[in-house]
Amino acid sequence: MPDTAPALAPPSAPPPAPPIPAALAAEIRKGLANQLAHPLGHAVTLAIGISMYLGLQYVMGQGALRADLMPATLIAIGAYWFLQYSGQVMVADLIEEQRTGTFAAAHMSVAPLWAAMAGRLATAALFALPIAVLASLVPALAVGIRIPWHPAALVPCLLLAADILAFTFLMAAIAVRTPAVGAIHSLLTSLVLMLNGAFMPLALYPEWMAAAARLLPTTLAIEAIGRVLLDGAPLAAVWSDGTLPLLIAHTAALAGAGAWLLHRNRRLALADGRIGRY
Amino acid sequence: MSAITVTDLTKRYAPNGPAAVDGLSLTVEPGSIFGFLGPNGAGKTTTIKILTGLLSATSGTARIDGLDVARDRAGAMSRLGAVLEGSRNVYWTLSAWQNLVYFGRLKGLRRAAAGARAERLLTEIGLWDRRGEQVGTFSRGMQQQVAIAAALIADPAVLLLDEPTLGLDVAATRAVKDRLRALARDEGKTILLTTHQLDVVEELCDRVAVINRGRAVADLPTRELLAQSRSRDHYELRIDGDADLLLPDGFTAERGEDETVVSGRADDPETLYRLIDAIRAQGRRLHSVDQVRPSLETVFLTLVAEPAHA
Repeated sequence: MPDTAPALAPPSAPPPAPPIPAALAAEIRKGLANQLAHPLGHAVTLAIGISMYLGLQYVMGQGALRADLMPATLIAIGAYWFLQYSGQVMVADLIEEQRTGTFAAAHMSVAPLWAAMAGRLATAALFALPIAVLASLVPALAVGIRIPWHPAALVPCLLLAADILAFTFLMAAIAVRTPAVGAIHSLLTSLVLMLNGAFMPLALYPEWMAAAARLLPTTLAIEAIGRVLLDGAPLAAVWSDGTLPLLIAHTAALAGAGAWLLHRNRRLALADGRIGRY
Repeated sequence: MSAITVTDLTKRYAPNGPAAVDGLSLTVEPGSIFGFLGPNGAGKTTTIKILTGLLSATSGTARIDGLDVARDRAGAMSRLGAVLEGSRNVYWTLSAWQNLVYFGRLKGLRRAAAGARAERLLTEIGLWDRRGEQVGTFSRGMQQQVAIAAALIADPAVLLLDEPTLGLDVAATRAVKDRLRALARDEGKTILLTTHQLDVVEELCDRVAVINRGRAVADLPTRELLAQSRSRDHYELRIDGDADLLLPDGFTAERGEDETVVSGRADDPETLYRLIDAIRAQGRRLHSVDQVRPSLETVFLTLVAEPAHA
């Protein structure tokens, strides 16, 4: 009987990566690279935005940048930029990708669509956050305003970010089939800019307008952050007045509606061939 | 097992609307290049979209490497690469390297494996030295090569190419054709391609299916299809001057100042004799009568002009 040593197993291909984490990582890396392909455009946009904000504050302050009015607006302008940029990264890019066809190419993935969308949402958050911080920090440093940091503010900040991202996700879910949502997104973003206190503190708004502004959960969240950061209110105070529970409920409703619409729109797009083209 | 199996596939975009694909069945054998032809609106792109999981079928099945695209989408996608017509297919703002690694990750490759595969593919298409440049700065031919490389990143068994040489110049078309031939011959890839450039099909494809109004009107090895058609009598007659003739069915005329060329199929010799008599009756001089070998284009036009088989 020949001496038969067990044959060496042939070198095998590396095992496949878990599809969902791989798709998430790929989307984030691709999304950030896509945004950073033209950094000058973002820098110019940001510079113009900051200049306009400072110019507006100068007019509001009747020829002076007033350190008593600006801190609250700095929080609001940061929130606006987070909303604006997360929409640009996720909604505008998705519309562009539907038009050019790369969304169809990406759809031939082994991972489900929701994983790709989650990756895109994470990209939106990762890219929009530093933009929002810069949009608030640069004018603050330019004028010499120092906003004290309280760890308790992290909770309303995170809830505000989650609410904005849930809204962005909802818009993106609609964009899978409806390019016109880009215009609706711009309109709603402008409305938030007008009503969230980015131009002047809500206390200076006409009463009816302030009441209307407070119908927006983002406005309430911005006020809550201001109360914790600027007035030193404890977290319990903004929880007990219902602001944070409302924000949580609003975020959950937006996210739920987004998930339902994404599922529905994907099914319809698969039926009428609109994945990869409008 | 066939690499691609389409069984009784039907797609209606509206419940009571016409069928874009109507009971289509076809199989593609592993390692072959399959030409999928048809006029605009015949149902080619619809079929490709169903195979790529971008469109759901109304009824019937589409399988890639034995896996039902509708039931096991992830499995089917892992065995499939595709380049779609009218799409960018890759991100122009990203580099060739970034694109390939991205699509590799979407196909479930680990980053290191995607990188190694991307290096090999970019080297093969001669773009390794330009791997860091944005794809948007590349020529159309290079962009198409990157799109094909992205489709190949996970080493799929099946490649679907919708009009892969559309809009390419002669040199770029040649490069793509050479690449596809090498992929089938050397790597055993199964390639299904649609194109309106019939010279590409004649040169590359082992087998051809022609569809019209969503139904297959021919599905034969390319040589057999051509041979079958060549058994029919195609003639070309060159006549002096600009001749205005009443032509028999199946004949067309290209009129010029010095010469008119009449060509077509005459299954019955009497048809040809009558045509020659008509030329003589007009007092025209007949320069030549030739029996011609029909190109695939002629065969294609003949097939799609005939009513779809029931």
